[in-house]
Amino acid sequence: MENQPAKIKDTQGAAVLASVTIVGGLLFYWFIQLQAVREMLALAYGD
Amino acid sequence: MTKAIAHGYPRTLAVALAIGLGLWFATSEARIDTWASLLPLFEWMETTPLGVIGQSWGAVFATVQAVHLLGMALLGGAVLVADGRLLDLAFRDTPLLEVQTHCHRLFTCGLVTAALTGLFMTCGVAIKIYYLPVFWYKMLALAVGVAFVYGVRRPLLRQDSDQVHPAVLKLLAVASLMVWFTVAATGRWIGFSG
Repeated sequence: MENQPAKIKDTQGAAVLASVTIVGGLLFYWFIQLQAVREMLALAYGD
Repeated sequence: MTKAIAHGYPRTLAVALAIGLGLWFATSEARIDTWASLLPLFEWMETTPLGVIGQSWGAVFATVQAVHLLGMALLGGAVLVADGRLLDLAFRDTPLLEVQTHCHRLFTCGLVTAALTGLFMTCGVAIKIYYLPVFWYKMLALAVGVAFVYGVRRPLLRQDSDQVHPAVLKLLAVASLMVWFTVAATGRWIGFSG
């Protein structure tokens, strides 16, 4: 794997960059959604 | 140095540029301006024959929606099998490339079906969904998912997978599962909104 062809290094680099961005972005998005639900439940039923 | 990176890593550079552009768009006034400029398009969509049929005949809308869900099921099934193989959870005895090639074909069929039927459904309720933030989140997730599959995932998996680091394959599968889960979940969310 140390002697990967340049093309694979490029597609692999693109895959890592895109995947990390997607996973990070979606974790943030769903965390915000869950927080909103928790706040709404707290408003409805109290803490 | 920059020239060497541009020549040696064109795809990585393209992904970095796309992420940068996406972040700029998400945080700038351009996002609001684009959204406002799309209103006439959505108003027009409701007046097209597809929009009139979608609003007038509930049975037609329901039938198209059923086909939309079948397309999503095909897409989701292909994603689950392909990513299950990448995570070494399913079809371990079948060569990775074979599983990915078959699943990619099914994925494309599912995507085309869901996109065509989705367009019809959008025409039927265009103004309603225009004002739903979750519709735009779904469109964003869909655009990211399509770009990810055809611009990043497929080019990588078409090559010799033995040359790719196993951790990268697993990361790819997790990202893919998350993005298509989000597309499906926000899609159902639209159904329960308004």
